[in-house]
Amino acid sequence: MTKVRVPSGAGESRGPLGLLLVAVPVFLLGWMTVWPILSGLVTTLFPKDAAGFSLELYDRFFSDDYSLDNLRLTLWTCGVTSLILLAVSVPLALYLRFARGPLASYVQTLAMFPMFVPSIILAFAFIRVLGPNGTVDTILNALGLAKIRSPYLTVWGPVIGLVWDNIPLTVLILTSGLGAVPNPAIEAARDVGARPLTLFVHIILPRMWSSIFVVISLTILGLFTAFTLPYVLGPASPEMMGPFMQRTFSDLRNPEMALTQATIVMGFCILFGLFYVRSVARNRRD
Amino acid sequence: MSADTVAVRRRARRRPDWAGLGLGLALTLVILVPMLVVITWSFSNVWRYPSILPQQMGLKFWQATLARADVWSALVTSLSLASVVTLLSTVICLPAAYAFARLKFWGRDVLFFSFLAGQAFPKFGLLVAIAAIFLQLNLISTFWGVVLIQLVGTLLFMIWIPVAAFQAVDRRMEEAARDAGAGPLRVFWSITLPQAAPTIFSAVLLSFVGTFYETEGAWLIGAPQIRTMPVLMITFINNQPVIQYGAVLSVLLWVPSLVALVFTRRVIGSSTFARGFGG
Repeated sequence: MTKVRVPSGAGESRGPLGLLLVAVPVFLLGWMTVWPILSGLVTTLFPKDAAGFSLELYDRFFSDDYSLDNLRLTLWTCGVTSLILLAVSVPLALYLRFARGPLASYVQTLAMFPMFVPSIILAFAFIRVLGPNGTVDTILNALGLAKIRSPYLTVWGPVIGLVWDNIPLTVLILTSGLGAVPNPAIEAARDVGARPLTLFVHIILPRMWSSIFVVISLTILGLFTAFTLPYVLGPASPEMMGPFMQRTFSDLRNPEMALTQATIVMGFCILFGLFYVRSVARNRRD
Repeated sequence: MSADTVAVRRRARRRPDWAGLGLGLALTLVILVPMLVVITWSFSNVWRYPSILPQQMGLKFWQATLARADVWSALVTSLSLASVVTLLSTVICLPAAYAFARLKFWGRDVLFFSFLAGQAFPKFGLLVAIAAIFLQLNLISTFWGVVLIQLVGTLLFMIWIPVAAFQAVDRRMEEAARDAGAGPLRVFWSITLPQAAPTIFSAVLLSFVGTFYETEGAWLIGAPQIRTMPVLMITFINNQPVIQYGAVLSVLLWVPSLVALVFTRRVIGSSTFARGFGG
């Protein structure tokens, strides 16, 4: 009996040691995540100019046409990018779930590849291929066709770049979600003559919803304040919230207003954020 | 299995994989070709529109780029930032990971999941909130300001991945070593660490590479004094009329990522990785 050890029994007596070991990362996390958010709320709700509580800064944001245009552009980009991303990734994930063989591993390698291309290199490649006199123009010209209207520096620039950038994670999460679809269910449906579309809508899709929601939350969280791609590929005006906040903070030297924009953005994302974190925590606990 | 289903299966196998061919071709065009274009640009001495191929290939711009002082100083900045951040992160996170995996203490679960807090907020919004605090502390545009912001970015996976690694260590071997008279430190050093090491190494490598490419914090907190490679790349894209400089810098910048690709392929291909993102 003496040989039987409760795995963490030895640790229980070392209570303070555990806390001590995790103290520094926990402190950093509190200081640089919880504190900035609370402090941001206080700073923007009790502005310097006002004597006490005032919604003046938020009022200024929501009555400024330029700020609202930027917010609208951000919401539009989030929506359009998520839709295109799903339209591209769901077929990819479905294919990867059921296909085997060398062609399938080639497709998988390519689908994961953007994960290893830093956004800034992607931005450069985008300009070289789709920009003015880029590869596409060169090829069209050689075929005697007219040049394209380049998406570079238009609202479509960030959309294309962000879709490209987000394909790997989206496909990974969707494929992992598709793992929950049992093979027998699909074979049974096939045996009774279900067409692929029926199969997808009635057997596969119902089991995919949770991963689709996770993907949407994750993408919205990432897109809402995307900075590098919109900054390099997007239009100068209106601009997405990421570049807008950066400019307000660094170029206009107005941290109070930048903080207001950041708080508004966080308010818009809070539901997605909570949902996403809940799913990650639930998965980890299982 | 009836003869019928076997026949059906065979027929299905012989049919060409049209979906695969289509997707493979599309991905090649959209994902591989742009990268090949960048690589070709970096090796072209002269490439004027509308020629499909460069008029003259060569290493001219590799030499020219490598002779630029701003490239070298950015490289040094990036490497020192990534090294300092990774080292600090390793020093503070690995003991914490061990504690989370093995020790029982007050508030353990809550603290463990609290590392997700950063994921619940849009990243750049949080960065702006941090920058507002750094402004009061005079950390804007300093090396250590950027170190701090990038260090926070590594916390989550430098704790979560090693926790999984420590949990996966075979406890019976540790107990056997303890029964044979080894002290706790000796057990950790000779039994626990070697088994957890490969996974921990991937986390450390990911932290180094992730920090090397971290652009947004470096841009917001570091500008204009701290210029990392990605920040230099942004200025090349915006202000450098000679395309090849950007192309060479892209290929140079890419090297750490390719190294990471080789070493972490197994970790990333696994389903646990996808589930770590909530999939």
